[in-house]
Amino acid sequence: MLDPNIAREVLACAVRTGGDFAEIFMEDRVNHNLRLNTGKIETVNSGRLHGAGVRVFSGLNAVYVHTNDTSREGLLDAAAKAAAAVRGGSGCVIAPFITVHAERPEEIRLLPTEVKTALKADKLRAADSAARAVSSEIVQVDAYYMDSVQDVLICNTEGVFTTDRRVWTRVGITAIAGNGTENQTGFSGPGAHMGFEAYDGVIDPEQAARTAAEGAVTMLHAPVCPGGTMPVVIDNGFGGVIFHEACGHSLEATSVAYGLSEFCGKLGQQVANPRVTAIDDGTIPGNWGSLHVDDEGTPTRKTVLIKDGILTNYMIDKLGGRRMNMPVTGSGRRQSYAFAPTSRMRNTYIAAGNDDNDEIIATMGDGLYAKRMGGGSVNPATGEFNFAVNEGYWVKDGKIVHPVRGASLIGRGSQILTRIDRVGRDMRMDQGMCGSVSGSIPTNVGQPMIRVTEITVGGKG
Amino acid sequence: MMDAFMDKLLAAAKAAGIDTAEVFYEENESFRASAMDGEINQYQVSSSAGLDLRGTVNGRMGYASTQAFDDDAVIQLIEGVKDSAALTETDEQDEIFAGEESYPVLPEIESDLADVRAEDKLAVCLNMEKAAKAVDERVTRVQGSRMVTASGMIRLKNSFGLDLTSRDSLGYAVLSAVAKDGDDTATGAQIAVARNFSEIDPEKVGREGAEDALSQLNASPVPSGSYRVIIRYDAMSDLLRTFCGMFSAEAAQKKLSLLAGREGTKIASDKVTIMDDPLLPGGFASCAFDGEGSACFTKAVVDAGVLTTLLHSRKTAKKQGVATTGNASRGYSSPVHVAPTNLFIRPGEKTLDQLMEDVGNGLLITEVSGLHAGANPASGDFSLLSKGFVIENGKKGRPVKQITVAGNFYKLLENVREVACDLKFEGSSIASPSLDAGEMAISGK
Repeated sequence: MLDPNIAREVLACAVRTGGDFAEIFMEDRVNHNLRLNTGKIETVNSGRLHGAGVRVFSGLNAVYVHTNDTSREGLLDAAAKAAAAVRGGSGCVIAPFITVHAERPEEIRLLPTEVKTALKADKLRAADSAARAVSSEIVQVDAYYMDSVQDVLICNTEGVFTTDRRVWTRVGITAIAGNGTENQTGFSGPGAHMGFEAYDGVIDPEQAARTAAEGAVTMLHAPVCPGGTMPVVIDNGFGGVIFHEACGHSLEATSVAYGLSEFCGKLGQQVANPRVTAIDDGTIPGNWGSLHVDDEGTPTRKTVLIKDGILTNYMIDKLGGRRMNMPVTGSGRRQSYAFAPTSRMRNTYIAAGNDDNDEIIATMGDGLYAKRMGGGSVNPATGEFNFAVNEGYWVKDGKIVHPVRGASLIGRGSQILTRIDRVGRDMRMDQGMCGSVSGSIPTNVGQPMIRVTEITVGGKG
Repeated sequence: MMDAFMDKLLAAAKAAGIDTAEVFYEENESFRASAMDGEINQYQVSSSAGLDLRGTVNGRMGYASTQAFDDDAVIQLIEGVKDSAALTETDEQDEIFAGEESYPVLPEIESDLADVRAEDKLAVCLNMEKAAKAVDERVTRVQGSRMVTASGMIRLKNSFGLDLTSRDSLGYAVLSAVAKDGDDTATGAQIAVARNFSEIDPEKVGREGAEDALSQLNASPVPSGSYRVIIRYDAMSDLLRTFCGMFSAEAAQKKLSLLAGREGTKIASDKVTIMDDPLLPGGFASCAFDGEGSACFTKAVVDAGVLTTLLHSRKTAKKQGVATTGNASRGYSSPVHVAPTNLFIRPGEKTLDQLMEDVGNGLLITEVSGLHAGANPASGDFSLLSKGFVIENGKKGRPVKQITVAGNFYKLLENVREVACDLKFEGSSIASPSLDAGEMAISGK
């Protein structure tokens, strides 16, 4: 992708004004997107992303310049622009490159760029039929298929010269149930860090479509959720978004290194109920949030964030590590060359516990059972989070009585962690796209069923 | 160079059997920097360019895009368009437009941002942070003290000889402050958007960002219940931006909007008039032509509560047997779709203070969060984490946080009792003045 001699020349140019670290991230990526609506393939779009970014550190500060022009001249121009913005520093010696090929071609049996588009379209048609077969109340199915093959080269003044190929595919199905005067939606979006072989056993578009459609129909007949503070049981899979939003973002160096997280300075302290162990693992083969190496060229690893309620680690990128004086965790990620990397989540989950699902609900009294969660967001500085409940059920006296719609959950991350009083056994992960300062990236969220003793439920009832 | 590449691509498309073809090219340059603890900690310069080719084969439209502009890219685009067109199966025949007789002429936008030295922009970051911290010792940190300038151009060229160009540039300064008092932490922000550097006052942005954070210190929830609610212009602009897809004919035709077939009927309170004005002088989405090459024009979407039109592209208009409203939107990596231009609720006469006096007791909502999750554009339902203030005896009272405001956007439009005069476009082309939204459901403690 890039001649090592040119790479050296560009890195040398980047640090000539005193930078003490420089990095080149080069990318060539082919995306393929199909969209189905009203039972028909509406758009088919292929696109090629191509560009590179040059990053220079001077102490704790960073400069980033990116361009589409990846010729020697284009890269040198970017490096010169970056060098011009560096205000002195200790400089650095460029270490000899150690070439690493991180790609694992043996893991990809069917490269999406070699699969006929018609076969991809068939996945959407099958999903459409499956969703509509659930109920005559399904008035619309909006479905997308995506795949992406990203070739990257990451090299830096510390001698990293690593290539990698990342391959992702996903379908997303939104089913809409309506009765003419109101609509309710259901969504399911399974994906994998795999080739098209994922549709042979890992991703089942028809099952996803049924799940989306059933959720939409259930919600069309559900009364609005009562609001107030109450116990809440959150089911496995996408329920893990609660940890992702309420705590995950606040454990990223992106906020911790700048003193902007409520978990600053709490390593070794009890931050959660002892039943809670939380992990961010970038190594699980084929998983949506996995990577062979992160976008700084560091091999990914399994990072235990919270062990039996004690805070054990953060997610740390190179720049954050400098500020925190801590080693990196292979968590430096970015949407593309157009973003400087920062610490991000990969596959993040609360580990399986020992509680029984039936008991968890039977002993909760009156409250909300959040079966399927939607997305959410957090302000790491205050820890205040919010997220949507896509499919909820009202529980009275430990018994599920009827579905409820329109609920959202709000609170503070550190409070929620201490209020988790049950952790079930059946851990499962689901896929999402996580947005932050370095763009939108694939991440898994997950957990077993958990119970929170008290949380504010936003509703209309 | 790009001109030659575009022509080469159109010629190659024709030779390859693509009946009609169009190239949409976009390039952007941007600068962003931020300060922390008196140092510039982030500095970013980017230049990017990309284009798409779309073309018809047997009446079906295909799309492909690239950021590389070599001979391989020509082959990739042409194969991509043919592959795409072969599989696309929507009913209405999508067409490439030959162009209008004439286009509206927009006033020339004057901007000096391209000539501003990097040092001066860095000074804005440093001065905003300093100003914020000088306000009060409880302002302990900034989350970001950022200055961004960006300029871009788009060009649309097709096989009918149409060749249109548009340029714009913009700068903004944002200060996000963190205030701490004992165990309590609050955040706040202020933004200034400008096309000329002298319009950005770093001291003012810094001070107001800090004051916003301080005003939220020691906020607490109110009891759950039904409250009379005023939604301030900034929170209301966020809500309108989230739900304005309901005015898209594309959404209506796909049954993703409940406004399908409601043209000519009352859908909102008499107080509500919503304009889509692509010719707004200095508007962030002002343009003489849309993504299909149609001429843009000013129209009321909702006039005193009556839905006058949905927003159309040529494709959606053809399907419904009406004329386009010039609302085809396009980026080089996203196919043509319907989107508003400068869309806003027309301001009324009263100030926000007068609205609060009229309401007497209730809540002023100043911020809503988590719109991508807690708001459902298809149903109009929302349940959102919110911040604001109690309204007591017609005046702004204590700060409120950790509450949710739940409602339905369609119903909200029907319930609007008054519209204030404080319309502001704060870095977005979609905006609203403050509204008296009537009674809404609040969950708190």
